[in-house]
Amino acid sequence: MIPDPSIAIDFAAPVFQYGSPLQSGTSFVDGLGQFLRPDTLVSVFVEGLAKSAIYVMIAGGLTLIFGLMGVLNFAHGTLTMIGAYLAGIVMVLLVGGATGAWGRVLAFFAALAVVFVLVGGFGGLVEVGLIRKLYDRPPIAQILLTFGVALILEEAARIVVLFYGLQPASEWQEAFGTKPAALATRHSIGPLSIRGLALFEILLGFLTVVGIWAFLTRTRYGLFIRAGSEDAEMAEALGIDVRRVFTVVFALGAGIAGIAGAVLMWDQIWGANVPLAAETLLPAFVVVIIGGLGTFRGTVVGALIVGMVDAVTTWWFVNVVTWTWLPDVAVFLILVVMLIVRPQGLYGVEEVGGH
Amino acid sequence: MSLLEVEGAQTYYGESHVLEGVSLEVETGEVVALVGRNGVGKTTTLRTIMQLTPPREGSVRYRDEELVGLRTHEVADRGIGWIPEDRRIFSQLSVEENVRVAVPDGEDVDEAVVFAFETFPELSDHRDRDAGTLSGGQQQMLAIARGLVGENDLLLVDEPSEGLAPQIVADVAEALAEASTQTTLLLVEQNLPLALDLADRFYVLDNGRVVDDGDANEVSADDERLRRYLSA
Repeated sequence: MIPDPSIAIDFAAPVFQYGSPLQSGTSFVDGLGQFLRPDTLVSVFVEGLAKSAIYVMIAGGLTLIFGLMGVLNFAHGTLTMIGAYLAGIVMVLLVGGATGAWGRVLAFFAALAVVFVLVGGFGGLVEVGLIRKLYDRPPIAQILLTFGVALILEEAARIVVLFYGLQPASEWQEAFGTKPAALATRHSIGPLSIRGLALFEILLGFLTVVGIWAFLTRTRYGLFIRAGSEDAEMAEALGIDVRRVFTVVFALGAGIAGIAGAVLMWDQIWGANVPLAAETLLPAFVVVIIGGLGTFRGTVVGALIVGMVDAVTTWWFVNVVTWTWLPDVAVFLILVVMLIVRPQGLYGVEEVGGH
Repeated sequence: MSLLEVEGAQTYYGESHVLEGVSLEVETGEVVALVGRNGVGKTTTLRTIMQLTPPREGSVRYRDEELVGLRTHEVADRGIGWIPEDRRIFSQLSVEENVRVAVPDGEDVDEAVVFAFETFPELSDHRDRDAGTLSGGQQQMLAIARGLVGENDLLLVDEPSEGLAPQIVADVAEALAEASTQTTLLLVEQNLPLALDLADRFYVLDNGRVVDDGDANEVSADDERLRRYLSA
């Protein structure tokens, strides 16, 4: 089925054109005045929340796996990339030109479910078949293994994508086209102009955080996971099958990575493409290092910090200055300062995980 | 048929041969003390029974079923609880969550929590606190409560009085006496008067072997029979 071309996005439009843009070359004082206008601040705040939502979805699974199992999963970004393509496939199959907005949203949630099950199931298989054998080895063995898995999966994805006539390094345009019009356009709310997709991303990020938090703290299996991660041997002696718990945690983390990819598939800053693996792995590590390796609360706060800094610096880059490197440098500057001042991160503990 | 029969257990840590053929039996309803100097293999005996450190040779039978070859959680599922030497409560979980996590699947969790806090009212006042903030004595109470709500027919208790002030030891002894009315206990304890006071029978372990055993009521802590194995 071919998506409705009428809802295609205007790709020429600046991605970050929120607030009232000033011309390039505007003085710093004028820029500051513009930035401090309430409508600009609110717009930047909403964009920051949307970016934070993406970062928390990218990093949530990574921190869960590291915090509970002590495994640094270098294939995490690759799972996000696969999630983006899988979600794209589901959407392109389900959505036609006549599919209405609600139909597209429903199809998207179906895609989320498919991606979560498939990528999560794959993660579970990787844990059982590969990672489980390395728990008693030094962490470098797990890092090399997951890095190897990432390389194999990325090459496999490249081959498949090329086989179907798509460019691996370019965003999958047909998948963009499955978005409902309301999410592809901007909406005026009073003096504000907000991207529809930004609001949708905030909603999904919020649901992801609440879902993970509720699972860990409000379910019996979440209790097993927290106990098993603190003292695996004791948990086992209380009758908990800790091996299975770790498989579930890895599957869950992988599944979250997958659904993050599904969300990015619609976002034209990211999109479904093979380099998405590396593009998401790096910020995911930045977020979890700032928040504190392995703490979920730290990851949420880390994502908020990185998202807000990214949004603010991006506004300055788009509207006032011409430094394309500003957002990235600002985020990595926070990372460097954090590593010097508080290497364990905001909420980090010195030792995590256990098996 | 005894509840637990350990026969000729040979257990190693790497190349270090710790248990050199331990054999012992525990009958239903008994309190059996396992005494001996530091490093003779008492803790390893309990770890061997739980299959945390499985024996290379020998057998561990519980209700006539061989446990060697099972995983630890399967041993626990059969009704054997372990209260380890350093309590190993989950410090980042609340006191109540520590109790909840120990309740087997299929049992009424809320009922088990009520039972635990009725048995140990002192813990009830701290139920929402992180368990890591409890005092040593309270942590030991929590570890015993966790063993009791596990619906265990046999509790392996390792050094419950270790590191506790004398008045707290008395409380722990009382808690163990209460536990012994509900379940069978195999108790490792350096505090010989406490061990003999609670136990029906005892085994003395030395250099990885059982070297003596008998009726706990027939010996006292200062008997030459025991002292030669227990003095440093």
